[in-house]
Amino acid sequence: MKRLDVDNLGERLTRRLAGRLSRRSALARLGAVLVAAPAFPLLPVQRARAADAGAVAQQGTDFSRAAQTHDDTACNYWRYCGIDGNLCSCCGGSTHSCPPGSQPSPTSWIGSCVNPGDQRSYLVAYRDCCGAKECNKCSCLNTDHAMPIYRPQANNHIIWCFGTQSFEYHCSMAVLVGLAE
Amino acid sequence: MNPIAHKAGRVAVGAAGLLMSIAAGIGAPTWAAQQPAAADAPPVLQSETAGVTPFAGLTPHELSYNTLDGLTGGGIRVIDGDTAKLIATVYSSQYANFAWAPDHRTLYVSETYWTLGNRGQREDVLSIYGGPALSNEGEIPLPGRLISDPKTNTFALSPDGRYAYDYTFQPAPGVSVTDLNARKVVTSVEIPGCGLVFPFGKRGFASLCADGSLAVADLDRQGKYSVHRTKRFFDIMKDPVMDESVADRGSGLALFITNDGWVHPVQLGDAPRFDPAWSIEVAAGLSPATSTVGQITWRPSGQVPFAYDAPRRRLFALMREDSPWNNEKAGSEIWVLDARHHRLLHRWPVPESALLVAITPDAHPLLFALSQEWLWVMDPDSGAVLRATEIVTPGLVRVRGE
Repeated sequence: MKRLDVDNLGERLTRRLAGRLSRRSALARLGAVLVAAPAFPLLPVQRARAADAGAVAQQGTDFSRAAQTHDDTACNYWRYCGIDGNLCSCCGGSTHSCPPGSQPSPTSWIGSCVNPGDQRSYLVAYRDCCGAKECNKCSCLNTDHAMPIYRPQANNHIIWCFGTQSFEYHCSMAVLVGLAE
Repeated sequence: MNPIAHKAGRVAVGAAGLLMSIAAGIGAPTWAAQQPAAADAPPVLQSETAGVTPFAGLTPHELSYNTLDGLTGGGIRVIDGDTAKLIATVYSSQYANFAWAPDHRTLYVSETYWTLGNRGQREDVLSIYGGPALSNEGEIPLPGRLISDPKTNTFALSPDGRYAYDYTFQPAPGVSVTDLNARKVVTSVEIPGCGLVFPFGKRGFASLCADGSLAVADLDRQGKYSVHRTKRFFDIMKDPVMDESVADRGSGLALFITNDGWVHPVQLGDAPRFDPAWSIEVAAGLSPATSTVGQITWRPSGQVPFAYDAPRRRLFALMREDSPWNNEKAGSEIWVLDARHHRLLHRWPVPESALLVAITPDAHPLLFALSQEWLWVMDPDSGAVLRATEIVTPGLVRVRGE
């Protein structure tokens, strides 16, 4: 099994952020991430999730066996294996963009889902879009390897709106982070 | 039809009707007084004064729940289990938690507001409600709190009702301790790597930790909180203890229950006593549940899947037959377990399926099962559904003493 290449992953994330964010915005988000850093030991989590994902990919959970790759407005879309809330794809956004009127949180919890298209496990960041009233469309609750609230970095019940202007929950995205294998 | 003209027409008709009603209201008594009363005419109805129905405190058979509905917003509702009727509703923010004082009349609501609705200055408060009208009696500012889907054990009172404990996460985890007599937060206790709060004794509390241990916090000789960790008693990656585990506020007995139905009885205290774990499935004569992918068996499941009848030492568990990692879906049966001898006493099917359970603490208890739309009041000894009522989507439930 290939190990997760954290360096490459970090580089890709940094380049992507740099391409999309203004400096002020980047500083604000960096500040939020720094504040959150002590509570979210992301690298060990990602390694642990990657190890889990390997087992999941081999055996398959109920969700992964029924997952599909063509409709991201359905709860069984493959990236949604651990999502809890309204799908942003049904609210004017997508799996990786917030609907207009809301803003993405710089914090998230991390899950890993198997893509039936290539049978690989991917790390997925479940990021909430915040600031608008709850969308109330396409409500899903998938719990593959979701953890209790006292392990917050893998919990889907917390409102992940830290670092945004508003804590009002609107919807949830499932942003691809990279391969988990 | 021009909709604006149609609407204007309706407004005009409505205004005319209102004027006629007012005119009739003013003129009627004079006119009526001039009419001879028929011998068999019913007595004139008495005039009324608007008020508030007195609230006598949460009775032994009443259930309170907070609403989790994006359209309705927050709110805490009281339903009488003997009639299935709505008794009272208290305002709350979304994602609030709440607890009743030992007097059963005072309600504490842990909640969060922003000055401009969805933005502005954030204010975390412990709101106090009470009196004959269950009216607001003030707020205590909090240093912060966790905002999440409702979780029972994010907020609790000490057994004597003197202190309130609020799990905070912003994002460093901690517990704020509020003196309810003095109406102020006295301290905040950091619990790194841990979460939730299970009170014991005068001032102590325990929290579950991600490494499988408990964090135990209590006052030291200097009157300050010190925190220490216990041994690890579960493996979170294989079979985590569920957030909605139960603890009896009076005795300090906690039943920490895992996804696969292993019950870890722990007598909370400065030196917690860990009794041997037992399996709900084994108590029912089944093989133990495991987290093996594809193993379909009965496991506890739901939003609030457990209720504990402390006087009779009975555990009520909402159960679902499914694969691992499906522990938040609705359960189809309530299993009644003897928590002392680890035996299954009954399996009661619930109408449709249920997400939450509660048991009243009195000598003749009522069992509640709740779905997103319905509350069923059941007899815990026969499983019979006694009555039902439609409800707003529930978040968490509390009965008297909780």
